[in-house]
Amino acid sequence: MSDMPDFSNVQSGSSSTANKVYEVKAGDSLSKIAKREYGDANKWPQIFEANKDILKDPNKIFPGQKLKIPPLA
Amino acid sequence: MQPRIRHLFLVAAVALAACGKKEPPAPPPPPAPAPAAVPAPVAVPAGVTLSAVSLGKSVGADKKVSVATEVFAKGDTIHASIDTTGVGSATVVAKWSYSKDGKTAAVKEETATITPTGPATTEFHISKPDGWPLGDYKVEILVNGTSAATKSFKVQ
Repeated sequence: MSDMPDFSNVQSGSSSTANKVYEVKAGDSLSKIAKREYGDANKWPQIFEANKDILKDPNKIFPGQKLKIPPLA
Repeated sequence: MQPRIRHLFLVAAVALAACGKKEPPAPPPPPAPAPAAVPAPVAVPAGVTLSAVSLGKSVGADKKVSVATEVFAKGDTIHASIDTTGVGSATVVAKWSYSKDGKTAAVKEETATITPTGPATTEFHISKPDGWPLGDYKVEILVNGTSAATKSFKVQ
């Protein structure tokens, strides 16, 4: 049996001053992505605004879509 | 030969001579003007490259660590701030690991795809709700699949 510690509950994240790109996964919503990327689900309109060229309805995103995640204003 | 006929011969001879006379060759066209000097292309950095990595317990709005340190406490959130230069799209990966008695365990791996238009800073962070085991850790930063930097730190 390994005597190494258990790191399975480690939480991680990232943010950038540059635009990030996020590939939509099954089960995602803009608020879930905002929670993951910004730590705040209510910031989803910022992602929607940055992706209006490909999103017409904030409730319709699809797996495989690549969304721009702008730096928090 | 009568003078009139001689005159006709003379006119005909002059006309024939004129017909056979070649025009002087056209002067050669002036040489094409030298092409205008083309400005040297501006050097654009090829792709995105890592320029610096620093560790700390918090980051500011600029994504840079507030105070750089390589020693952390059990309950800290650990941030790695990555400065890059260049433009384009890049996949940046932070691979966190722990070492003890010559053995290494993966802690976490986080990937960020960024599209910088110039110098940029990207931060990665990890936390552990029940606290970090004491010991030696390392974060390796890969840019587009190539290891670009490694930083070691301790939790004590």
